[in-house]
Amino acid sequence: MGDLKLTKLNKSFGAVAALNDVNLEIDNGEFVVFVGPSGCGKSTLLRIIAGLEDITSGSIAIGGRNVGALSPAERKIAMVFQSYALYPHMSVRKNLAFGLENLKFKRAEIEARIAEAARMLAIEPYLDRKPRQLSGGQRQRVAIGRAIVREPAIFLFDEPLSNLDAALRVQTRAEITKLHRQMKTTMIYVTHDQVEAMTMADKIVVLRAGRIEQVGTPLELFEHPRNLFVAGFLGSPRMNILRGKVVIGDDHSVFVDVGYPALLRTAADPASVSAGQEVLAGVRPAHFALTDGEGLPFEVQYHESLGTETYVYGNFQGQAEQVIVHQPGHFAPTPGAVLKIMPEEGRLHVFDPANELALARRSEPREELR
Amino acid sequence: MIRSTGLADRAVDFAMALVEAPINAVERLIGKRRMPYLFLAPNLVLFGIFTFLPIAIAVGYAFTGGTELLISNRPFVGLDNFRKLLSCADYLTPGSCGESLFWTAIWNTLWFVGFNVVATLLVALITALILNRAIAARGFFRAMFFYPVLLSPVVIGLIWKWFLDRNGLLNAFLQMLGVPPEIFLLDVGWSRFFVVVVSVWFHMGFYTLILLAGLQAIPKDLYEAAAIDAATPSRTLFRITLPLLGPNLLVVLILLMIRSVQIFDEAWVLTNGGGPGTANTFLVQYIYQTAFAGDLRLFGLAAAASVLMGLVLLVLTLAQLRLGKKVES
Repeated sequence: MGDLKLTKLNKSFGAVAALNDVNLEIDNGEFVVFVGPSGCGKSTLLRIIAGLEDITSGSIAIGGRNVGALSPAERKIAMVFQSYALYPHMSVRKNLAFGLENLKFKRAEIEARIAEAARMLAIEPYLDRKPRQLSGGQRQRVAIGRAIVREPAIFLFDEPLSNLDAALRVQTRAEITKLHRQMKTTMIYVTHDQVEAMTMADKIVVLRAGRIEQVGTPLELFEHPRNLFVAGFLGSPRMNILRGKVVIGDDHSVFVDVGYPALLRTAADPASVSAGQEVLAGVRPAHFALTDGEGLPFEVQYHESLGTETYVYGNFQGQAEQVIVHQPGHFAPTPGAVLKIMPEEGRLHVFDPANELALARRSEPREELR
Repeated sequence: MIRSTGLADRAVDFAMALVEAPINAVERLIGKRRMPYLFLAPNLVLFGIFTFLPIAIAVGYAFTGGTELLISNRPFVGLDNFRKLLSCADYLTPGSCGESLFWTAIWNTLWFVGFNVVATLLVALITALILNRAIAARGFFRAMFFYPVLLSPVVIGLIWKWFLDRNGLLNAFLQMLGVPPEIFLLDVGWSRFFVVVVSVWFHMGFYTLILLAGLQAIPKDLYEAAAIDAATPSRTLFRITLPLLGPNLLVVLILLMIRSVQIFDEAWVLTNGGGPGTANTFLVQYIYQTAFAGDLRLFGLAAAASVLMGLVLLVLTLAQLRLGKKVES
């Protein structure tokens, strides 16, 4: 049905490679989010799945059937466009009916499907209006409705929320998630917004420069980013990155020395590193804890208090790079104050600066994350 | 006062400062509400002299008789000119009319308008649809189809006359194929056919341009949505492209109709003055001949015919504009 398999997919526009050797499997019923910065190829990948772009090489199969040579209409997909792409001269009803009429559905069946979709999306009152008489949110629903009536094997969403205001975006996000739970159909959703990716996805696919950087559940990607790019892309504010050197402890634990007496304990596999090796240590702002004991000297510059939480901006003493520390609740350190902070247990990420990959972890279970 | 730094900006500021005082003075004198008309005045004066005044004079002439040029020397004849033009035993038979050439010209013009509007619209639309695709050398073709629009009608008439003459290019070509030569411009059917062909060739570039602009304003993702919606090319054309091109098609239809009714110069040159016989004598040519080219210069009759033609164009335009509003809503 709605499972998708991309094998060795390549796409270039002239001399520019847009997608590079993309391999991906999506199971029936999954909600998959393609995320990445502008120009990473996520929209191109979606359009290739839709059949709106040709592939340069590789294969693409939907429901076990190779669809590479099929037209968009034959692929059993439906797409919700960023601009909604509603037919401006047709009423909402006709917008929904158009695809079914093209497929020569019976009138009664068309009416039934429109009624069902309209009820599901609460757009019944607008069925006889033209798109320009609707608000952005209503148009969005109609665009989703046009996809629903087709009863596709896969729904494709191309940044569908980017034209909505912030409040509506949060609401629609929840509605799309709810829709997915009701319909249990495969959905592929493209966004550059990591919050949408984290909150909606069963599976996130992070892309950069036409390559898949990592595939996994939101939590997997958040807790075990495969490389520096994924670590920096997911999570806001960004992960703090410190330069350091490997120190092997007496118990064969791997520590990172970032230039202060306090050493940072890591979960890295001692077999994969050598003492003195240069590494990059990553700590998310929320994973720094204030400590009374040994800690890194964090000099406060200023803070942003959001009431329920506080972001403190500063730097480690003697270093120029900005470091962000998150604290729950209201917290108001004086500028210039030096705080002692340490990464929470098991929250330190270590990367090899040469290839930016995360270092292998020890295979023992890490209770601290549970 | 807006602060500006560049030399050009300072020059503008200086000019503004120069006119500000007199403009303020005028505004105090005539009041703010009359100011727009002051700014419109230069254009209105030119329009008045070269458009509205000639219309008024023509209407005046339409109610006078005789052959004198100066209106002060012309006798007032009331509706006589109109009566003469419109008196007909059977309107379908020009010979039964008081002014038979007028009715010949009217029927010729109506037939021409019918064929020319349909042919030009179709050719321009098809050309625009093709040029809107990503074909090779698109810019070259766009320029090429527009190029005839830049030529003078007389030049167009002459070029095609050479092409269609007894010893013209087309006959030379036909002879090469073993087809006996045809004197196209002396045959009623062929000459009428080629008047339409020449008119289409001459004007289509302009209408193609308008339609092309409309086509390019249709968002690309509508076509992608239609592709996903399983619309066939013909359904995409009739259900997406043409409806969205509606406003442009209407503009083209109005302009095309008006300009078809006005057919004169290129046809006059091509057909040696409306021939064979009166087969290609159109309304404007009738007006021209009646007023300026006949033995008797019947300015009054010609003016009356002009007024009638103007009224028809006015009705056509208003009807189409009303239709356009209905289409849009």
